[in-house]
Amino acid sequence: MDFFELISEPIDITTVARRVVPPECGATVTLDGYVRKFTKGRETLHLFYEAYEPMALKEMRKLIEQAKRDFEISNVGIVHRLGRLEIGETSVVISVAAPHRKAAFAACEWLIRELKRTVPIWKKEVYADGEVWVEGESEPPAVAGG
Amino acid sequence: MSVRVLFFGATADVAGKRETSIDLGGNSNVGAALESVLRDQPSLQSYKLLFSVNQEYAELDTSISDGDELAIFTPVSGG
Repeated sequence: MDFFELISEPIDITTVARRVVPPECGATVTLDGYVRKFTKGRETLHLFYEAYEPMALKEMRKLIEQAKRDFEISNVGIVHRLGRLEIGETSVVISVAAPHRKAAFAACEWLIRELKRTVPIWKKEVYADGEVWVEGESEPPAVAGG
Repeated sequence: MSVRVLFFGATADVAGKRETSIDLGGNSNVGAALESVLRDQPSLQSYKLLFSVNQEYAELDTSISDGDELAIFTPVSGG
C-alpha cells in the first residue's frame, strides 16, 4: 500500500517502514530526514515547517506515481511533519519497498530530491538572534502544458 | 471576477496575512493577478516567486477564472 501524509506529531519511522512491506518484496529503503543543528555554520535552535496542505498532498501523490513508473518498486510511503521541530527530530520519512534493493535505493534518492523541489512545504530556521524562511535552492518544476 | 489569493511562509510574513481576495476583469491570468497583488504588497517584488492555480503549478501566462485559488510563494524548502 502506498501512502502520503502530513502530520504534526512525531513520526514513528519503524511504523512507516513496515507499512510499505508486501510479500513480493525483499528490501525496504527508508530515509530518515531530521533537523540539523548547524546550517552554513549558523546554529539553529529549532525549525518550523509549514505546508500548502492540499497541494502538498497532490504533489506527493504525483511523486509516488512517477516513481512507480520509473523504478522497479512496489510500495512507497512518505510522511512529512509540520509545525515546530527540535534538533534531531525527524521531519520526513520516505520508505520504498522493492523486490530488490537497488531500485529501492535509487527511487528513495529520487523521491527526496524531487520532494525538496516540488512539494509546497517551507522551513523556517530559528536562531538565537533571529529567524528566516529558507528559500529552496532547486529550480521549480516546469508547468505541464504551460 | 474574484480570485482567492493565498500566501505561505515568507510571502505570508511579508504580506502580513495568509489570504486575500482580488477583483480582476474577465479573461485574466496569473501575471495580471500578480500585478494587482504587488500594488498592495510591493515588498513581495524582492522575492523569487512561484505560483499555483487551484493547487497546480502555474506560470505568469496561466489563465485564471472566477473563483480560482491562486497561491503565491517562494521556492519550496521542505524535506
